[in-house]
Amino acid sequence: MKNFALIHRVSGIALALFLPLHFWALGQALQGEAKLESFLRWTDQPLVKASEWAIVLLLSIHLTGGVRILMIEFLPWRDWQKTLAAIVAASALAIGLLFALSSTAHAQAWPQKPVKFIVPFPPGGATDISARLLGQKLTDIWGQTVVIENRGGAGGGVGAAEAARAAPDGYTLFFPSGSVVTANQHIYAKLNYDPEKDFVPVTTVVSGPQVLTVPADSPYKTVAELIASGHAHPGKLTFGHAGIGSQTHLAAENFVYQAKLDAVAVPYQGEGPGLAASVGGQTHFFVGNLAASIGHIKGGRLRALGVTSKTETPQLPGVPPIANTVTGFENVGWFGIVAPRGTPKAIIDKVAADTKKALEDGGLREKLFAQGLAPVGNTPDDMGRAMKAETELWKVVVRERRISVK
Amino acid sequence: MNAKAQTCLWVAQRASAMILALCVLVHLGTMIYAVRGGLSAAEILGRTKGSVAWLAFYGLFVLAIAVHVPIGLRAVFGEWLKWKGISRELVLILFSTGILICGLRAVSAVFQ
Repeated sequence: MKNFALIHRVSGIALALFLPLHFWALGQALQGEAKLESFLRWTDQPLVKASEWAIVLLLSIHLTGGVRILMIEFLPWRDWQKTLAAIVAASALAIGLLFALSSTAHAQAWPQKPVKFIVPFPPGGATDISARLLGQKLTDIWGQTVVIENRGGAGGGVGAAEAARAAPDGYTLFFPSGSVVTANQHIYAKLNYDPEKDFVPVTTVVSGPQVLTVPADSPYKTVAELIASGHAHPGKLTFGHAGIGSQTHLAAENFVYQAKLDAVAVPYQGEGPGLAASVGGQTHFFVGNLAASIGHIKGGRLRALGVTSKTETPQLPGVPPIANTVTGFENVGWFGIVAPRGTPKAIIDKVAADTKKALEDGGLREKLFAQGLAPVGNTPDDMGRAMKAETELWKVVVRERRISVK
Repeated sequence: MNAKAQTCLWVAQRASAMILALCVLVHLGTMIYAVRGGLSAAEILGRTKGSVAWLAFYGLFVLAIAVHVPIGLRAVFGEWLKWKGISRELVLILFSTGILICGLRAVSAVFQ
């Protein structure tokens, strides 16, 4: 009995020291407009995690002793009550430990081995480059190698299906371009993965606008002139793209839809061939990624009419947003991380937080800027909301433009 | 301190202990549900924001701590450090007020 009282008292003193500090720090973390981000940063600190562990353990011990003391004081002390007190005390301890383990164990233990990013396109493309650049930084942060595995084919469907079937343990993550998880379900009649049921959002890594270009000798000098010509001659304008369902295809279709044009899509085997055909005057316009298009624009082979972002992009000063002509138009491509459904929340939050940390690196930002990409590093919730909105947009565009692969 | 005041403190200590035992179990259960159920910090804060029930629950939790802790420390100071008298009571009242302010500030931030 004396031991119980002593343990109760010692754990009480420790709690009396910890709790005010815990309350004060929690109150500090939750102040201001950005309380969520501040709270997440706070909970991610090793000292806070250690303090949570300590408080839970101390509470369990203190509660065990306290319950026993109350039982003895308020009830006649008999055998069955001893047993009951022990059961209550043991349960309290078990619940406390379970909580401590459940909230921190996954994130603290992970990663213990290399982490695989499945990229659903061949090496060398913008998705692959983004994944490799981020993978190098995360390797430094985690102390475990990030392995990039390219699984191209079926508009990203091959890699997506493999990622969807992977064990949800955090060691296999999927690194798609946006269209693979927001548009393919509307384009493909049969898909061997379900973007909404098979994956959960982690973080958008980078985003970048596209640029609407015409051949250098094209008569169209502005977006308005191109649209006017399209309206005057329905069905005559043609545009190239990198393949059905690709970001260049969807960006162009979105432009055509929102500008109320009737234009003909011409698919090519990738963005390079599509742009080359545009340079050669085989199509009237092309909506391409900045990295692939800038060389042609600066070389005088293509004329940039507008960018798909709402504001001018620093890589192409002087090129106006298409939104100046087509009110409200915006089309931003992105690459990000999603995880097989069932991946522990603690791991998802850790990947998102560490990606954000990696994207703060100046060297990485410069390399991404050279690719026409801007770092994002948003939260899983923000990414989920953006994906949902984009899925709805593509549903409408794909239906109205009758885009499909049987 | 007279016998009546001692009794009041004893009752307050036991009553707050019973409230705390319940509060701790509810809090741990909620946390396990939130973490195991995959609720993110944003979702948790989204649910607590504007919830009068959560405000009342955590307000009571903090109040019970602010009552329970100083009474426990009072006994420790008296028995182990032989510290008694008005200085002890003043320090403990200040300590209790500090816990109350810090705790209610955190609760209010979760609510707003």
